[in-house]
Amino acid sequence: MNGEKRTRTRLTRRHRQELYGWAYILPGMVVLTVFCILPIFMTLYYSFTDYNLAQAPEFIAFSNYVKVFTNTQLRKALVNTVIYVIITVPLQTIVSLLAASFLANFLNSRYGKFLRGVIFIPILVSYVAAAAVWRIIYNSKGGILNQIIGVFGLDSVNWLGDAGTALICVAVVAVWKSAGYFMVIFYAGIMNISVEVKEAAIIDGATPRQRFWYITVPILKPITYMVVTLGVIWSFQAFDLVYKLTGGGPGFATTTIAYVIYSYAFQDRRIGYACAIAILLLLVILAIHLVEQQFFKEED
Amino acid sequence: MVKSDTRTLRFWIGTVLVTLFAVLCVAPLIYMVLVSFTDSPTLYISWSDIDFTDFSNYVYLFVSRDFARPLLNSVIVVVLGCILVNLVSCTMAYGFEKKPIRGKGLLFNIVLATMMIPTQVVFISLFVMMRQLDLMNTYIALVIPLIGAFGVFLMRQFIHGVPDELMEAAEIDGCSELGIFLRIVLPMVKPAVITLTVFTFNSAWNSFMWPLICTTKSEMYPLTVAMSTLTSYFETNYGPTMAAATVSFSVPFILYCFLQKEFVEGIALGGLKG
Repeated sequence: MNGEKRTRTRLTRRHRQELYGWAYILPGMVVLTVFCILPIFMTLYYSFTDYNLAQAPEFIAFSNYVKVFTNTQLRKALVNTVIYVIITVPLQTIVSLLAASFLANFLNSRYGKFLRGVIFIPILVSYVAAAAVWRIIYNSKGGILNQIIGVFGLDSVNWLGDAGTALICVAVVAVWKSAGYFMVIFYAGIMNISVEVKEAAIIDGATPRQRFWYITVPILKPITYMVVTLGVIWSFQAFDLVYKLTGGGPGFATTTIAYVIYSYAFQDRRIGYACAIAILLLLVILAIHLVEQQFFKEED
Repeated sequence: MVKSDTRTLRFWIGTVLVTLFAVLCVAPLIYMVLVSFTDSPTLYISWSDIDFTDFSNYVYLFVSRDFARPLLNSVIVVVLGCILVNLVSCTMAYGFEKKPIRGKGLLFNIVLATMMIPTQVVFISLFVMMRQLDLMNTYIALVIPLIGAFGVFLMRQFIHGVPDELMEAAEIDGCSELGIFLRIVLPMVKPAVITLTVFTFNSAWNSFMWPLICTTKSEMYPLTVAMSTLTSYFETNYGPTMAAATVSFSVPFILYCFLQKEFVEGIALGGLKG
């Protein structure tokens, strides 16, 4: 009798706790389902339709995807995006690793702390503001960059207006904006390397360069991989900078995949087609994530 | 620590290079502030063109271009966003971490999986949805994409560290369920709440693509979109553009000066959402 009563109260307690649990997660679950998960499936559905907002979506199976492979503008955008990734990712990774490594190992002073604080500042700027400033810096008529190279007797360059330099210039701004961010991550990782390891290396007579290559770099491998993965994913989705710095031009010289998706969906109202491209972008990014997961499995 | 070789030539070269890098990081922003205090129609600016007592570009922004409205919009979006994100993240994380919900592992993984989705995939259909729900040009539309799985993920890791014994003891002492959440759990994860708030603040204040999509009326523009229309409008009038950029930058910058540690943690952790 007594025991039975105890089981009952324990059961109801568990039920009550589960009910409380649902009360906590349900409101958030509903918001996330409606505004985050549902749109993903809507996009998947629209990618098989012809939809321009004015008329109801019309099912056209894989036509959008077939069109993707014959779209020369998109092919150009893909090439640009890959070039953009190839410029930004190694540059920001190397710059931030070197800066973090030096600051952590040799300049762990008040001045070093100040420098870290300063290097972080570009993160706080919006891409729109950053683009506005850099447009002026890159300006072909009297921009400060042209004034500086003018001092060395070089001719002015139309940095953003020349198809040969525009994409590189956009990439430089991206690196400027995010190097400090990756530096903070590397710095935290280096500070986690135990003092014993470092001291042992010094006692064994390792030079700073050896210590960098044989201790810092291997220990930071997982962090480096994360920085690279993040960098690749961000650069694959580059939009704000391209939109405000060059508008994808000159011609299609700086058009990226994210920019194409934006202009198809929101300027041309070709929702279905844009959705198909977005789904392909998703697949590319999922592939990157899978590689990343594989890597972390190895680490464990 | 590494005393033996700190004063070598290599040390000085390194210091100079890192200093140079730091200068390159802030030089464009100093330039931005300087240009905002000139009224030069060309970019050949000399020091005599810069007048720090001349706020005419700022006055022009706020008087003629009505920049107070986008500034207010951005503040509203940031405040609403931070409140909503924290509310959703803390409650969900607490439920997922501390409550015996059947199938919560699967549910949580579904929530986590949304972090890998590129924003473009969500934004197109969210835009269609907002049009159909007649929510275009509303604060709700501006705030909604700020809510995401990242906050839940972050808070859950911190709530994991709250000992169950403490919550049980509170329950035995007659503390109500809501009381345990509000008076035991939340105070213990306060650093995480600050981190999440800073991260949400920075992404909300600087967000551009979604506001560009979901606002069509200028009175609903946040600062970034208002600035964007300004730069398109004034291709050659640099002063007002740089004044707008300075206004937009100054808010996170001032907060950063006071909350440097929280900013670095919030944004560094935040980026892990990918």
